[in-house]
Amino acid sequence: MLLKINDLVKVFNKNILANDGISLHIEKGEVFGLLGPNGAGKTTMVNQIIGLTMPTSGSININGIDVVSNPDYARQNCSFQSQTQVPIAGLTAIQAIELVGLIRGGNNIEVQKRTKQLIDNLEIGEWANKMGATLSGGVRRIVAFCMAAVFPGSVVILDEPTNDIDPVRRRLLWNQVRSLADMGSAVLLVTHNVLEAERAVDRLTIIDQGKVVGTGTAADLKGQDEDHMRLELVFEPGMQFSEHPDLLEHAVTSRRRVIGRIAEKKVVEALEWAQSLKEKGVVEEFFLGPTTLEDAYVRMVGRTDVVEITEGDIVNEQSTS
Amino acid sequence: MSRALRSYLLLLKWQALSQKPILPLSMAVQIMIAIGFVIGLSFFYPELSSTIAKYLITGAPTIIILMIGLVLLPQIVGMARKEGTFDYMWSLPIPRMIYIAADATIWVLVALPGVIISLAIGAAYHGFSLDISLLSIPGLLLITISGVLLGYTIAHGAPKPEIAHLITQVLVFVIMIFSPVMYPVEQLPNWLVQIHNVLPIKYMADLSRGTLTDLDVNLGLAFIVVGAWCAVGFVATYFLIKRRR
Repeated sequence: MLLKINDLVKVFNKNILANDGISLHIEKGEVFGLLGPNGAGKTTMVNQIIGLTMPTSGSININGIDVVSNPDYARQNCSFQSQTQVPIAGLTAIQAIELVGLIRGGNNIEVQKRTKQLIDNLEIGEWANKMGATLSGGVRRIVAFCMAAVFPGSVVILDEPTNDIDPVRRRLLWNQVRSLADMGSAVLLVTHNVLEAERAVDRLTIIDQGKVVGTGTAADLKGQDEDHMRLELVFEPGMQFSEHPDLLEHAVTSRRRVIGRIAEKKVVEALEWAQSLKEKGVVEEFFLGPTTLEDAYVRMVGRTDVVEITEGDIVNEQSTS
Repeated sequence: MSRALRSYLLLLKWQALSQKPILPLSMAVQIMIAIGFVIGLSFFYPELSSTIAKYLITGAPTIIILMIGLVLLPQIVGMARKEGTFDYMWSLPIPRMIYIAADATIWVLVALPGVIISLAIGAAYHGFSLDISLLSIPGLLLITISGVLLGYTIAHGAPKPEIAHLITQVLVFVIMIFSPVMYPVEQLPNWLVQIHNVLPIKYMADLSRGTLTDLDVNLGLAFIVVGAWCAVGFVATYFLIKRRR
């Protein structure tokens, strides 16, 4: 296996436990998701892999080499897209991408060719010769991705690569993430966007408060939800209910929307209940479908304040198991 | 081309391009400060003789370099720290001291025009001649590199960028008012003289005076003390940027 992390512990200031015994491994050609809410310890873990942060205990190996004692090896072999913006204010997009390619050891011709390929594939040609300072946050983040992908190491670490990026280019970016794995890199994708991760990763680990709470494929993690369905209700404007029935488990409420799990044996009862709400004019529409990774995520993380809901902001918490 | 040299040149390009938007402005400001220093001396000392002017003007490189190294640099590096620049740059497969070398090169280039112009205009304006020895090249380089490395020590050693910023505010005051550059060391109280016997500022000024004029200074001692401070700055910077959180 390419990247192997074993029992990783990081304590800051003697009492802040950022990583609490994290273990995982990533294979060559695999896109591996690291999911968790803000403050779960994802970036702390990444910073230990590339030698910015010293683990309190535990081991990190890349290609069998211990990179805790040899951080230079990690930097030679990991391409990294930081969560923070890259320092390219005075550089054009092309200059920034090519410079990193050359610094990582690529030769001029292959770096230029690959830069052009990435710019074309991600459709950022119109900004290719614009200075970093003038680029929008989303385009800068795509450029940062290109900087990580131009001459990829055997491990590619992408920390929240799709933040600020428009939906069309997000799809293009996911294609490029997949092709990095196809080219032979092990891709570690750090995100809190569960819906996107479900489509993009081969396997994933969910961490919360520094601990691994689940590892496997999206299907593995959803396994425990197999005998459940997902029910989504959209309120009429101005309507809400103060209490929902027990049959709606792990419910997440946004302004006009409630999403929860329904046990399969209670599906008929739930549909009747939803239909009655619709007839009373409380609910505008409702949807019943198979559970998603997001449902498994909410169950594992045990809180509802962490899930991105596509419409509206989460305003309150109805039930947390 | 060795890997280190290749990395250095690539980073030099990166830093030069990054600084490009403000580089001409930085240089212009440094040149204006240099000219202002030369002319402003006449306001401080209305009866300025050319001998005294020579003494003061040849201390100007030290003031200019320390203002850049110990004040401007920690402020700009502090901003970069805040923006997460180093989290990215330190993740690249390059020795970190190579990054510092590339960055320091840019700072030397920023400092150089001001240093040269202050000397040239100062000599012409105040009517004295310079006696430039070849040692002035290593001398001025040593002052600049020491200033820059000590600047990095402050910038990366301060627990927070804001603290580095505060330190620079104090240093402006110390360098301008409480250092024997704008006036002879004999005018300082004894306790401050003792402190300046250890600090590099007086010796930096001696280095530029001793290599640019015929003024009698202990050049050997100046090279040793400034060289020692340069080594301290190098070692401190090395360990500060190498450490992991």
